Amino acid sequence: MARKAVILAGGQCKWGVREAHLVDLFQEAAKACLDDIPTLKPKDIDGLIVATSYAGRCSFQVNTAPVIAERCGLKPTSICTRCDTLCAGGSTGIILAKGLVEAGAADIVMVAGGEKLYTPQKWEVFYSELASVDHVWEGAQGLGLPPPFFALTAQEHMMHYGTKKEHLAAVSVANYNYAADNPVAQMQKRLTLEEAMNAPVVVPPLTLYDCCPITDGAAACIITTDEIARKFTDRPLVYIRGTAQVCLNSVSANFPGEHLADWKHTRIAAQIAYERAKVTPNDIKVAQTHDCFSISEVIEVEELGFCKKGEGGEFCYSKQIEIGGKVPINTDGGLLAVGHPFGATGIRQAIEIMKQLQGRARHQVKDADIGLTHNLSGANAEHTILIYGREPVK
Amino acid sequence: MAVLGIPILDGLYPVTMDMWPVQAKEFNRIWPFYENLKQGRFTTTKCKDCGHVAYPPRVICPACYSENLEWIDLPTKGKVIVFSEEVKGVPLGFESPLIHAVIDLGVEPVRRLLSRIVNCPAGALKRGDEVQLSVFKVPDMPMEKGKAGTVMVERVFFAFEPVKK
Ligand SMILES: [Zn+2]
Repeated sequence: MARKAVILAGGQCKWGVREAHLVDLFQEAAKACLDDIPTLKPKDIDGLIVATSYAGRCSFQVNTAPVIAERCGLKPTSICTRCDTLCAGGSTGIILAKGLVEAGAADIVMVAGGEKLYTPQKWEVFYSELASVDHVWEGAQGLGLPPPFFALTAQEHMMHYGTKKEHLAAVSVANYNYAADNPVAQMQKRLTLEEAMNAPVVVPPLTLYDCCPITDGAAACIITTDEIARKFTDRPLVYIRGTAQVCLNSVSANFPGEHLADWKHTRIAAQIAYERAKVTPNDIKVAQTHDCFSISEVIEVEELGFCKKGEGGEFCYSKQIEIGGKVPINTDGGLLAVGHPFGATGIRQAIEIMKQLQGRARHQVKDADIGLTHNLSGANAEHTILIYGREPVK
Repeated sequence: MAVLGIPILDGLYPVTMDMWPVQAKEFNRIWPFYENLKQGRFTTTKCKDCGHVAYPPRVICPACYSENLEWIDLPTKGKVIVFSEEVKGVPLGFESPLIHAVIDLGVEPVRRLLSRIVNCPAGALKRGDEVQLSVFKVPDMPMEKGKAGTVMVERVFFAFEPVKK
């Protein structure tokens, strides 16, 4: 019988401004992950994939995987490596782990992602953002920090589709309120539409709650096969049904859409992932999409096929992303409120989908059987989608 | 010049902290882009085998993988499609207002080039405004060069600026 990848367990440490070293955060996340599956011991884990992008710049540490393996008491025998796709690093790690366990090249892989972004002097992380984009062509244009780029994106969405500031604010309100009772979230407070509408300006039309914070944090999950998972748990199995990662540009001059609010690469990624998972957008009961900015979620619900192109603002404003809506999204609080330690985010999303599909999420979506995670990374350079289900692809 | 907390770096140049591109031909095969820029020309590479024009410039043709490329001029004037203005919280290395615009230079592949807009006060730019190439000096790069010791390599970079009416 073919080996089928599942996500067996996962956990994250407290995210926010952390008084800790990068390697401390990874240890906390590994513990949170194994606390979620007490039957699994470090010695059972034969592979480690680490997702971190800023280790080199903010912690002066490259080749992070062996360091993290050693500190976490892991002794990998099948794979011990790092992947760096910035905001999609965690999801990339899961895709790679799926391939390895299904191919029989590994059995039980920990995928761990994390960043320590707050440096002893704060300027350094902001300055290092010049490395997150195409350094020569966009960093030197002052495009390192993402708010200007997403402000342009929001303006073009408003120009072409009549999207309003209230639509953006509705995303922030929904995601903050999902995180209000999430003990590991960076932001744990309820937010009203009025507060979101009257927040300080960042880059017009974006204001404070439209932008995700800078976050220290880590998360880890276990990817294995269904047959192996059965030895460790009685919980419902959560299969990774289909994945896609699409990269069509690095420089915004070569942006693949008609304009910055037309995300062709997201549509292609979604189409491929849906085909591989043998599902359609209507089958998705819950999703974790990349809400690095409120406008991102507005565009993502369109490009993922949850509503028509141009209607994302109204979709979010009419509470379709909330519990009881068409597709509850970012049900743990998303990047906007849980925070965004780049390499950890895709793992955080996977953990929330796993819990939703196992019926143990904090904001549970009734009868959730198919879920989706989505990341965009870089200056909208790459889109990564994973689709999870209670049943494997037949 | 002292580096706080890291005395051993006094007087040294860390390229990993340099916000501007390394432009010396010893470190960069597209150095003619910067030489052309110094003459007010905005250039890129065109494939002599298949005709493909790529931006940014590169050392192989991304369409046919030929190395038989030539430098061609791109327009230096265009129109603002959309722009953003950051007044507060501008990152280190840039001045307020930090303005970015998607500009149309009228030909592929630069119908939607994202660039910084300089020499423009906050609140002055409008969609549809005409902008032109602006080339400016950036700090020289200290480079070790054998027996010559450390030589200073002159550098420039570019943005666009409003065309004076
Ligand atoms: Zn060619």
